[in-house]
Amino acid sequence: MALPIAPSDGVGADPVRHVPEPSVERSLSAISSEVTPARSVRERLLGGGRSGVRADRPVLVLHDVTKQYPNGKVALNDVDLVIPEGDFVFLVGPSGAGKSTLIKLLIRDEVATRGAVVLDGLDLARLARRHVPKVRRKIGIVFQDFKLLPRKSVWENVAFALEVTGTPRRRIRPAVDRVLALVGLTAQARQHPHQLSGGEQQRTAIARALVHDPRLIIADEPTGNLDPLISWELIQLLLRINELGVTVLMATHNADVVTALRKRVVALEEGRVIRDEVGGAYHRMD
Amino acid sequence: MIGFVAFSIKRAWQGFWRNAVMSIAATATMVLMLLLLAGFWIINTGLLAGLEYTESKVNIVADLFDNVTDRQVQDLMARVEAMPEVATVHHVTREEALQRFKESRRAEREEDLTRFLDSNPFHASIEISLTDAEHYNVVQNRLCSEPGPTGKGCAEEPAIESVKNQRELVSSVLTVTRFLQTAGAVALLVIGMIVLFIIVNTIRLAVVARADEIEIMRLVGASDAFIRWPFVFEGAMVGLLGAGLALGILGTAADQLGAFMFDFFRVLPLEFGGLARDVTLLVLGAGLGLGVLGSWVSVRTYLIR
Repeated sequence: MALPIAPSDGVGADPVRHVPEPSVERSLSAISSEVTPARSVRERLLGGGRSGVRADRPVLVLHDVTKQYPNGKVALNDVDLVIPEGDFVFLVGPSGAGKSTLIKLLIRDEVATRGAVVLDGLDLARLARRHVPKVRRKIGIVFQDFKLLPRKSVWENVAFALEVTGTPRRRIRPAVDRVLALVGLTAQARQHPHQLSGGEQQRTAIARALVHDPRLIIADEPTGNLDPLISWELIQLLLRINELGVTVLMATHNADVVTALRKRVVALEEGRVIRDEVGGAYHRMD
Repeated sequence: MIGFVAFSIKRAWQGFWRNAVMSIAATATMVLMLLLLAGFWIINTGLLAGLEYTESKVNIVADLFDNVTDRQVQDLMARVEAMPEVATVHHVTREEALQRFKESRRAEREEDLTRFLDSNPFHASIEISLTDAEHYNVVQNRLCSEPGPTGKGCAEEPAIESVKNQRELVSSVLTVTRFLQTAGAVALLVIGMIVLFIIVNTIRLAVVARADEIEIMRLVGASDAFIRWPFVFEGAMVGLLGAGLALGILGTAADQLGAFMFDFFRVLPLEFGGLARDVTLLVLGAGLGLGVLGSWVSVRTYLIR
């Protein structure tokens, strides 16, 4: 099956948009053949086999997405975006550019006014309310302020994500132990958030995001509260997770990190995608 | 299902103790509000019993001609008793009427003047108590609405000489009792609404304090049931604990309260047999119901987003 919208689609029509590098325009079948081995690695390391997941489709497709709030403010305008499985994407742009709205659409906290947001083959706008929780389990989300429960230990914070989704107790312990080992927090499992450094707290949040074995990790300014050194450690962790086959979408203002890593960069401005560039820098480099 | 219920109860228990300050504040509010509700319920019950007693004292007294035969009296009483509005009928003989007068003089420490009488001046009568004081006019009219053919007595019942006209008095009593009954019901309703809003708001505060927790649950993909029910169970816990404490306080104070009520209503032969059961049911029902309602409504705010 070919991509309904290639990653570069919708970019060329706008003269200010950067023409993406050819690698972004890979066909979906090519992506599929590339990610299959990676996924088996992920299954081995993260555990939890996938059933019914088709490799021949992107994790995320946004097609002509517009979001207008009831107050009339248009937060997103005709956004097209395709994120293949295994991709690592930086979402950049000034405050108010639409990054937060985009993330809200992905987790179905908001619904697009027009267009389609398709996550793992499911059109979120047409999704019945009762199915929303199941879609959210396909996404792991990490916030700038960690959003940990202060009265729960690291282990309990991670286990919480499984408990509240009805996971049987016998499956919770191995899954939590596995992701804590992955993020390097096995030794801190019994500690509470106030006993941890900022980096450790964010790693706990990442472990919680990973414990459902998600298709996509969304990190919203994950390094915003961390000093540069710890930020780099955290980015390394996200890269490692991405290498295991988990797709990562990271919204950030951290120009150093974006420019240094040369990953795919999607830049938003005034609700529009003004640049979608593989190997890009934080700022446009003409 | 059992796993889900066990999960919800466990989470409710943890939630209650891990947010002890808010939980205790909510429980304390629950106790105070339930005491207020129960106290007012008790007062209202006493008031209603008093009014009922007052209304029960409204009766119809029909004086009989002196020449009526026992047979006529029996027939009259049978007809009156057959009326649906009539509760009981009592025949007061002339001798009994005289005796009552003597007793009332004695009770008032007045001189017994009857010894100066040549004959018994009192009429025999029938005293009719009604099922409801409101039926006064209907029954009175049925007995004596027009004078008899000779200009004396009553057209409807020839044995009756006259019926004491207490319409205005009965009307006044009814006006006062109806007003007090309505006022009591309105006050109870207002207190009930105040209790409802204060408890629901207190529980809402306890839930809002944990908005982060609900937010995280939503983000990690918890279904509505997994988010809602632990809070509902927790609300039920607060309600039942508050009800238990309120009942404990009422139970401890019951003896003193009973003595006070007895003194207060000593003049009236009131029945308080069902009050303890009613108050227990009211407090438990209101505690549990308001706890569950408060949680349900509060969590719903987050779920409908």
